Amino acid sequence: MRAFKRNILLAFLLAFVFASCKKETTEKKQTIVYDNVIYHVDTIPVYKSAAEKTRQKTANQYYSILYSDLFQKSIPSKELADLTQLSLSIGDKKLVNEMMIKNYLITAIIPTDAEMRKDIDKFINLTYLKFYLRKPTQLELYFFRDMITNDTKVTPTNIYTSFTLSNEYLYY
Amino acid sequence: MKRRQFIRTSALAAAGVVVAPYILPSGRLFAATGTRLVNHVVFVLFGGGLRIQETALQQYLANQGLATQGNILPNLFSGAQPSTNLVYSKWTPALSKPLASYGTLFKEISYKTGPTGHFNGHTVAMTGNYTNTQLDLRINPDSPTVFEYYRKHTDPAKSAINAWWLSEGLGPYTALNYSRHANYGADFGANFLSPVTTFIGQGSKLANTPDFQADDVLRIDKALNFLDNSFDKAGKNLPGIVNSEADKIKIEQFIKDTINRTQQSKINFALPSGVNQSELTGDLLNITYSWEVINAFEPELMVVNTFNSDICHSDFSSYIQNMHKADYGVGWLWNKIQNHPKLKNDTIMICMPEHGRNDVANNLYDSNGLKAYDHTSDDNSRRVFAIVAGPSSVVKQGQVLGSAGSPAGETIDIIPTIAHILGFEKDIPSGMLGGKALTAAFN
Repeated sequence: MRAFKRNILLAFLLAFVFASCKKETTEKKQTIVYDNVIYHVDTIPVYKSAAEKTRQKTANQYYSILYSDLFQKSIPSKELADLTQLSLSIGDKKLVNEMMIKNYLITAIIPTDAEMRKDIDKFINLTYLKFYLRKPTQLELYFFRDMITNDTKVTPTNIYTSFTLSNEYLYY
Repeated sequence: MKRRQFIRTSALAAAGVVVAPYILPSGRLFAATGTRLVNHVVFVLFGGGLRIQETALQQYLANQGLATQGNILPNLFSGAQPSTNLVYSKWTPALSKPLASYGTLFKEISYKTGPTGHFNGHTVAMTGNYTNTQLDLRINPDSPTVFEYYRKHTDPAKSAINAWWLSEGLGPYTALNYSRHANYGADFGANFLSPVTTFIGQGSKLANTPDFQADDVLRIDKALNFLDNSFDKAGKNLPGIVNSEADKIKIEQFIKDTINRTQQSKINFALPSGVNQSELTGDLLNITYSWEVINAFEPELMVVNTFNSDICHSDFSSYIQNMHKADYGVGWLWNKIQNHPKLKNDTIMICMPEHGRNDVANNLYDSNGLKAYDHTSDDNSRRVFAIVAGPSSVVKQGQVLGSAGSPAGETIDIIPTIAHILGFEKDIPSGMLGGKALTAAFN
């Protein structure tokens, strides 16, 4: 019983000591406006459907976007100027675009065949987002899933070529 | 079947039987009615703005206060070259007889109305209509070009590989291979190249363009067809002309081969033997590669220009030199055609500047103290010549028409003349062309 009373007394003493040592503080609230912060993340609008694309890319836009889609970096200004001149010098624009794409695909950053086949749906979704800035429809997903699954010789380069040559890729 | 429906169906079927035989693959109702004089036309727009005094009139430096006169264009005209006060290096002519002797020289024709600017001059010459467009914007012309008339009104319809426009430079001239006209346009346009860029400059990027394997092409096409069928805007909405897949492959191969041959120094340039390649001008390069196109595709219609004589704005001596070089190029091209087994007796060449230059000099002088000339729509800048040369069985040889104050035609007459040669003149809807064929040139 004596020990119990001693413990109770000790507890009160400790509580008193710690409570009395607590310093009073006042929290000052400051409003910070983040109006000039660059996070290095571009806002990329994702289209709900292809029907939203009504405007045709200019030659400059087309080559800039093509380059960044294939090499994951901005096109150097000289390269862009050269491509624009080259495009002007040939009347069949589809032909010159095809030739440029074929050249770029030699050194472009493209998933390997193994990466594509490891998760085909993921590859299709990412390809649509990369080139078309939208998700594939169920039909589109089915078509490419079927094509890749049933033809073991279809390569990511084949798929990338088709996307970059397609009419939808020329519009935004 | 109800009676009314039966009658309507029968009537439509009967109309189809009557009309169908006259609907051609080109979409036209009737076949071309004209007879061709030859099957190939090369129109050299001898451009840059050339004064009648230094060209057809052979006055050389007479307008500079020097007595020396003479012919600096020995491949085009008869006449002795100047022998004194030479401000240019003489090249041995490519031709033993000048081009004019192989046909009819229209010593004076007129550019009647509109500004005498280069783009206007080109547009007028290639559309057969005067234009008041003031700016050199890269906008296709309002009136159809000769290529569109040719492709639309020739039966059977001609693909773009038969029609070519080769320009010495880019700028607005890239827009002259088809018009904005609602009934014509890119579907009937010509293939366009600017060789200095396509084959020498930026085009070097295309030298090693890989070819896809046939089975890869099938896979790409399968996916591409699916993608294009899923999108409601067709490829034909894109700017520029569209070649058939087969022609596109041929043209791609030609571009790659020509770039590679250029890089391997295997191109035969339009230069006299012994003259260094450093003497090549943009004009001579354009003419050289025009021949490469002609040799590869044997097109029925080609328009090729020269432009370097425009230096006359500030340097009269270089204007003389560049004209002399361009003259060599025209002779060289004629020689090439005359040595081609298929083309030699089946080609008419037409040569005409797009416009002239002023009578009065500006206030600039070159290093030889010679006055420079602009082209600001004065009467003198409306005076040019034209040569129509071809087989003696078709073109009157050695004939000279027109003189100062009595022009034998207008610059808008060249397109009807080409239509006359290629047999589609009567199929062009009336009112579309402002001029008339220069029929006096033909037998």
